[in-house]
Amino acid sequence: MLFSEAKKHKVVSSSSAATVGKVSSFLVDPVTRSVLAMRLKKTEDGHFLRWSDITAFGVDAVTVTGADKIGDGDDDVKELSGKDHRVLGKRLLSSAGDELGKVEDVDFDPATGALVALLAGTETVVAAERLLGIGSYAVVVRDEP
Amino acid sequence: MRLMRTSEIAKRPVVTYAGEDVAQIKDIVYAAGGGTVGGFTLAGRGLFSGPLKEGLAWGSVAALGADAVMIRDEDALSPTKDVLEASRRTGGSGADVLGSRVLSDAGVDLGVVHDVIVSVDQQAGGECDVVGYEIEASEALGTQGEKVLIPLPDTLAASGEHLMVPASAKDFVGRDLAGFGAAVDAFRAQLGGAS
Repeated sequence: MLFSEAKKHKVVSSSSAATVGKVSSFLVDPVTRSVLAMRLKKTEDGHFLRWSDITAFGVDAVTVTGADKIGDGDDDVKELSGKDHRVLGKRLLSSAGDELGKVEDVDFDPATGALVALLAGTETVVAAERLLGIGSYAVVVRDEP
Repeated sequence: MRLMRTSEIAKRPVVTYAGEDVAQIKDIVYAAGGGTVGGFTLAGRGLFSGPLKEGLAWGSVAALGADAVMIRDEDALSPTKDVLEASRRTGGSGADVLGSRVLSDAGVDLGVVHDVIVSVDQQAGGECDVVGYEIEASEALGTQGEKVLIPLPDTLAASGEHLMVPASAKDFVGRDLAGFGAAVDAFRAQLGGAS
């Protein structure tokens, strides 16, 4: 699933069947190369939902056991929540020092949260296993030999 | 192997694998009498930031690309004076060649140095070799006033005033970087064969 498709997914509590929020963006951990948490909007309380706390990331909605899973985020979530760690819209730089474009979308596995690929335009698709880091200046990926 | 003009390297950001731009290139520090690049002095990022106390030795550069100078992490930076000192030990940085006149050993003035062309070895531990100059050609080259690329031997003699190149260098003059690598190789092979 692409970040662009997954954005605006409703977050629904399976205990109350009520919508408790809406996905607004994704926080990516460059070390594990997976989604650490999601930033939500339209919530009652708190703005972050850890990937490990969701029940499922479905085609139409994200399910959680209850609204109590949504919070202000632990330190690791807070650390990755700043603009410096955003992936989308950032320049994509290879470890050889060449710009490959701008990250326009990210493909991820909704079953695990693991990233599959970074998309820079329609032609440049970089496998997520090449991801080295996400910083204020660029998203860095290993250069292909 | 990849060729680039050193004027294009200046101001390029220094970026860690974590994606942070920790500095930008200020000046190139030559080593081995101007035959190789020994490292860089750095400036801070942003309009008003001045020079940094830290420099970057060539050995700590992970890659020199078209858009950025890559380092593994900030530990790659070392005090600027160490970078300068290391270059001195290898025979100094040579004179500032920009603006110097290139003279062939046959005593012909070929032109004025405009830019320095380096060849970057992509393999880790590879050298950043000075392989040529971009010169504003003199009359002798038949393309007066135009900018041309002239290959250099492995070691060269330079004073602040003149740079001496073998007379045969003018047979290997190039117009753009695309075919220049082959010209440098051919030129150096020919010099090797002659000695």
